[in-house]
Amino acid sequence: MTIVEQESNVPPVELTIFSGPLDLLLHLIRKNEVSIYDIPIVSICDQYHTHLRAMQELDLDVAGEFLWMASWLLHLKSKMLLPSVVESEEDPRDELVERLLAYRRVKGLASYLHDTDIVRRCLWTPEMSTKTDSPAEKELDWEDVDLRLLAQTYLDVIGRFEASHPPPIHVLPLRFKVEEKMRDIYQRVTNDGLVPLLRHLNSRSDPEEVVTVIVATLELVRLRGVFAEQRRAFAEIYLRPGDRQLSSKELLHHGENSG
Amino acid sequence: MDRETLTASIEAILLTAGGSVSVAALVEAVDENEFDAEEIEKVLDSIAGTWDRPDSGIRLERVADGWRCVTPAPLDSYLRSYHGIAARQRLSQAALEVLAIVAHRQPVTLPEINFIRGANSSSVVRTLMERKLLRMAGRKKVVGKPFLYRTSKEFLVHFGLERAEDLPDPEELVRDETLPAE
Repeated sequence: MTIVEQESNVPPVELTIFSGPLDLLLHLIRKNEVSIYDIPIVSICDQYHTHLRAMQELDLDVAGEFLWMASWLLHLKSKMLLPSVVESEEDPRDELVERLLAYRRVKGLASYLHDTDIVRRCLWTPEMSTKTDSPAEKELDWEDVDLRLLAQTYLDVIGRFEASHPPPIHVLPLRFKVEEKMRDIYQRVTNDGLVPLLRHLNSRSDPEEVVTVIVATLELVRLRGVFAEQRRAFAEIYLRPGDRQLSSKELLHHGENSG
Repeated sequence: MDRETLTASIEAILLTAGGSVSVAALVEAVDENEFDAEEIEKVLDSIAGTWDRPDSGIRLERVADGWRCVTPAPLDSYLRSYHGIAARQRLSQAALEVLAIVAHRQPVTLPEINFIRGANSSSVVRTLMERKLLRMAGRKKVVGKPFLYRTSKEFLVHFGLERAEDLPDPEELVRDETLPAE
């Protein structure tokens, strides 16, 4: 509980954490020792607003429902202050009283549950290994099956199905063969003497072809049929003839291996 | 099977069941032809009486749709010390209010809970669902088809009730304008 010192001569306000505006109202009614059936709206409304201001000063997260209740109380206050022209049989406070009574019942039951919980949370039950080790399917009581459990079970089953039935992998026939690219590059290097690899790759629009060309180039470099040179990082890579003559059989053979 | 063996086997079943045991399950486990539910109930009552002594660390209690072994509450601190467990998490005031509303008015929707509490309760309801104290029980046939909530079997077991109707009448609890101190 926090005590807020007011600057003026208004008595300090005690702040407990209220679980809602009805909770705060009940607290004020009890503190003022007034009857729930005959709430002095003007005084209670003022005290409610004092509380609300204190909560805001303390930067407590004042939920919207507290503000809604504040406006309702102001509305009731204005109705009570205005002299009623027609003697109406209905008291404007009726709805509020009804809701307070319903809420007070809930609070009574909640308090009973609280006391029961305090004692019963201290109970321990035997944790038997048979419960967790049992290979048998866990049996569920009909009582325990609700929509949420059903939905969760459905998702589990679908998840298991999808895990055991992964989508098929479609293997498309290779459109580019490493052996062909090897032969192409080897021929171009042999004919032209110097081939700019990056420029060649950049002119290809198909990623699959680019990959095939790179693999073919690496294969040629490994076989020493072609040398690759680069002056500095990211510069053009030039291919020039290597120190070995590659036979067409050698090209075909390695192409098959990596293809 | 003689009476002594019957008592002993019921004790053994209760001890190893790891949860509550229904009388029907006990009748099935022992010889059905020899003992009926009424006799088993009698044995259960006598076991409960035998265990209910200051120098016994086990109690037998009737919960939800069965019987189960528990330890007496005052031994909690020693058990926590042995198992190295800090105090268990308490239920918040908001959670207790939601439980009270659902227990008293079930089945009930979230908007109805919000109205009675005068405060938004959606996160509280979600937490209580996760703690398995509430369960969903269909949808209400009104605009928006909101979910209906009921208390679960765990709720009954935790609060030591056989049925939700065993909860005290809220009117009785708040009679004479006296509310328990906060």
